[in-house]
Amino acid sequence: MPDRPDMAAALAAPPLTNLTRFGGEMFNWSDTRGRRNALLTHLIVELGGPGRTVLVAGPHPDEVVAALAAGGAEVTWLLRSLADAEQAARTHPTISVLAGAFGKVDLTTGFDLVVAADGIQRLNSAEGDQLSAGELLDRLAQAVRPDGALVLMHDNQLGAHHTVRLEPGRRQRDDAAWYPSDGQVADNPAAREQLTARLTEAGLVVDVAYAAFPEPATPAVLIGGDALGDVASPLRPWLQSVLEQAYTTAFRNRPVLSDPRRLVGRALRAGAEDTVAGGWLVIARAPGDVPAARTTWHDVLVGDVHGAFTYTVTADGPKVLVPHDGPMEREGLRRLDVPVAPHTGGYLLEQRLLELCAAADVRRLRQEIAQYESWLATHARDGLVDGPVALADLSGVAITPAGPTVLAARWEPVEAVPVEIVLVRALWQFAVRLITWGRPHPWPVTASAADLAAILVGMAGRSLADEELRAAIDLQVVLDGAEFGLTQGERQAHKLALLAVQPGTAPLDVAGYEELTEALWRQRYQASHLLAMMEWTEQIIRSRDSALSKMDFELQLLRRSWSGRGLMLAKKAYKKVRK
Amino acid sequence: MHHANHHYGHAHILARYCRIAEPMHPPRIMGYLQHGWNIGDGLAPGTPYVSGSRLLVWSEETRRRSWSQGRRNAVVVGAPFSYLVEMTPDDGTPAEGTIFYPFHGWEGQQVHGDHQRLIDEVRATEIGPITACLYWNEYRMRAVRALYEKAGFRVICHGYRGFWWRDHNRDFLVNQLAELRRHKRVVSNRLCSAIWYGALAGREVAVYGDPMVLDNADMTFGGEPRLHRQWPEVYGRQTDYDACHQLARVQLGADELAGPDELRKLLGWPKEGYV
Repeated sequence: MPDRPDMAAALAAPPLTNLTRFGGEMFNWSDTRGRRNALLTHLIVELGGPGRTVLVAGPHPDEVVAALAAGGAEVTWLLRSLADAEQAARTHPTISVLAGAFGKVDLTTGFDLVVAADGIQRLNSAEGDQLSAGELLDRLAQAVRPDGALVLMHDNQLGAHHTVRLEPGRRQRDDAAWYPSDGQVADNPAAREQLTARLTEAGLVVDVAYAAFPEPATPAVLIGGDALGDVASPLRPWLQSVLEQAYTTAFRNRPVLSDPRRLVGRALRAGAEDTVAGGWLVIARAPGDVPAARTTWHDVLVGDVHGAFTYTVTADGPKVLVPHDGPMEREGLRRLDVPVAPHTGGYLLEQRLLELCAAADVRRLRQEIAQYESWLATHARDGLVDGPVALADLSGVAITPAGPTVLAARWEPVEAVPVEIVLVRALWQFAVRLITWGRPHPWPVTASAADLAAILVGMAGRSLADEELRAAIDLQVVLDGAEFGLTQGERQAHKLALLAVQPGTAPLDVAGYEELTEALWRQRYQASHLLAMMEWTEQIIRSRDSALSKMDFELQLLRRSWSGRGLMLAKKAYKKVRK
Repeated sequence: MHHANHHYGHAHILARYCRIAEPMHPPRIMGYLQHGWNIGDGLAPGTPYVSGSRLLVWSEETRRRSWSQGRRNAVVVGAPFSYLVEMTPDDGTPAEGTIFYPFHGWEGQQVHGDHQRLIDEVRATEIGPITACLYWNEYRMRAVRALYEKAGFRVICHGYRGFWWRDHNRDFLVNQLAELRRHKRVVSNRLCSAIWYGALAGREVAVYGDPMVLDNADMTFGGEPRLHRQWPEVYGRQTDYDACHQLARVQLGADELAGPDELRKLLGWPKEGYV
């Protein structure tokens, strides 16, 4: 809730001529606007244009509205919160702002473009009648002029983000949950097909319906068209890598029931990513005489959570749609723009190693790691590696019939890195994942990340020196610092956490309850083993002390005279007779 | 951890392979190294086990079986004999005759059977000189040894495997490999480590004759009858060389051998150059 309004400031403020209150607006209330989203802004702005009338329904990032207005569109922004509406009217004096409940506004004039990228959850106000999900969708569809278009994001109740949610008391804590927002009503479309069917019934033609990841509020990857559900597509390994990156960024440091990357990875392999997507982004148009602005859409779109950068992947390769707008270098690393070779097919190296670890197939593990090591060596000049290869995680490397290749890497070093550090960082990071993700592997349960790294590096036929491991961990801290924008203090804490990965260490990025209980199980295993080891050590020390004492006694005798030697012989004879 | 890790010079062979400074005095192995071919969980029956310790088994099949028996920390390292074969190239000296390993008991279990009938059967089957390799306790029994000598066999013993880190013949397997390579065929009356060793060393192998009876034989894992059913390829007077060799590679983990640095970590030994 906002702070109590300042009456004097309110009276002194100039009147807002671009704000209209149409009833049902919420007082003493504010909705969060959502974060800047490069992908959504790009798509929406493409559908705007000079002279086109645009309705932005519900809270959206300011950048979307500003970009539409800057493009020459006549923008109307509808918000249920009066305070938000006033703020919007002040910030964007060239647009019209409507404050009130969506059900009360008169939309009969229609719009060339209706934008509901926030979904339908925040269109009803606490005041007055509550429209059902179906009614809200119908009203949005009816607001589209015959030659207009609708951009709608719809939350997927079966999405991984809901399935892994671990927020006890969320409903009770959420001031906006006067009704559950997770749509327990019959007419709320619960599948992509149901959503498109509903819009079709409402008179629209659906141009494209993307599965949006990781969450409807912050889509970073859109998959649609033929690419959706096509397990034979050569884009699959790349998609897996890109989705893993998107979920890592979105769920980092968030407690969840279970790591969503596993669920989404499995869904992707099953061709069922649509089912677990965060939501669906639909672009639909009303039939009319005037053709829509465009009717063909890219199958896959990827946005950068850090900036405006957006790209797509076509049959001809990756294509930048919006270039980077921020600094390209950070902490000795340079940001990369498009993926190197998304169409390569093959399989992801990390995925294959995880499978081989689970199958305890050490022979093929050695083959894969040896192949990776040789490939790195071919990229080394004077023992140094530069370019995307130097910082690519194993999850960003694909193995194709022609050999390994980098599929996805977000950074490259400004100065080349020694090849052994490149190898150690990648394998050590894999070891950390094996432990902190609680994944099965063929090595001792009691092995630490450093132990596993030494074994993995040993599989490549190399030894691992302590200083190499330290350099590799330092490099990882720099990389994570750049990727997640960590402060100096956060980096130090991150480094200490990475150095201390032992069996039973909890996940370092996404704190899944399942993974935490797995870590607890391993801690208990380790603790009970250590107790048993202590007991055994005491026993063996006693046994060795006794053996040493007896041997010392024998030695003293032997060193003495002939009589001592004779005694030993007699003892031996006695033992033989007793047998 | 367990003194059986030093049986047959196993720890010493692995120390040599791992380039440990004093391989004749290897560091303690942090785990239980399988010390003989095994149809159970990889541990000898009755071994006192420190809960949670790693079990270092010879083959992936044994690891799976071990898991099925409740062992959760079993790791495949391969048989020490496989490492020895890797480190010891065959010098190509022509081989002749047969080496025969009568099934043996151990200090705690004696075998009962008719040695003479066995000798007759081996003599009737094998061509060329025959060497009989007796287990150390049978080698010490003058009567048993005399039976084989009287039959014209060359009688040898690879030595004592040791007990509580004392008196073990550190070159036990080194001698065994040399003897195996001196002969064309390796024969026993029961499937045992020596048969697999012979097959891995590139010799013809055969298991036939009275399998003899072991005192208080443990039938938990099927005992001798199971050996026939599961590995019929090695039974009979003549066997398929390739099939037996391939089976030996699997049973001895010969295709799963770790590199020296890798093995150091698995055994809990320090990195090279570190104490």
